[in-house]
Amino acid sequence: MSASSGLTPSDLDAMGEEDKREMMEMVETMQTRDSLRMYNGLVERCFRECVDNFRRKTLDANEEKCVSKCTEKFLKHSARVSMRFAELNASMEQQQMAQMQQMQGQQQGK
Amino acid sequence: KRRRTSRRWTTMDAEKKKQALQMASQEMEYRVDLFNRMVVTCFDKCADRKFKEGDLSVGENSCVDRCTAKYWQVTSIVGQMLGGAGQGQ
Repeated sequence: MSASSGLTPSDLDAMGEEDKREMMEMVETMQTRDSLRMYNGLVERCFRECVDNFRRKTLDANEEKCVSKCTEKFLKHSARVSMRFAELNASMEQQQMAQMQQMQGQQQGK
Repeated sequence: KRRRTSRRWTTMDAEKKKQALQMASQEMEYRVDLFNRMVVTCFDKCADRKFKEGDLSVGENSCVDRCTAKYWQVTSIVGQMLGGAGQGQ
């Protein structure tokens, strides 16, 4: 994954209001879609993990507890991964910037 | 830390701006997909399925940390071997 894709931070600074709005709308749409997808995924996951008898129409106490814990656990897990993802991402970007600066330094014959 | 305002953006015509936004959008989609897959994969690898607790144990937490680091490494290796084809060029 190269750093030269799409927009750089200084591009974002230079954007006019309209371009910025377009960017924000894009991000928002993506976030909403992703939340809905996660919601559905989580429901399916916890259903599969916790429910496997169909003697009754309603969940029994164990199944309900299982679903609650399943959801809670997955959300906490997701938060942790999110943290690590951000760290890994940040360290990769730092590496790329260092590489780019090195290359620029060489080009300028420093 | 100062960032210089990009001359690149202000001198771009509408067509190039559209392309840049599209690329940014694709990159964002890629990242979101990567993140989601990482979450699901590491959950399947690390979480104790019995769901006795709503919290992750210390062991599960360590597993998650290592899983994400390794997943990231795999992403990097595959990316290199595909020659940066993740950018869709």
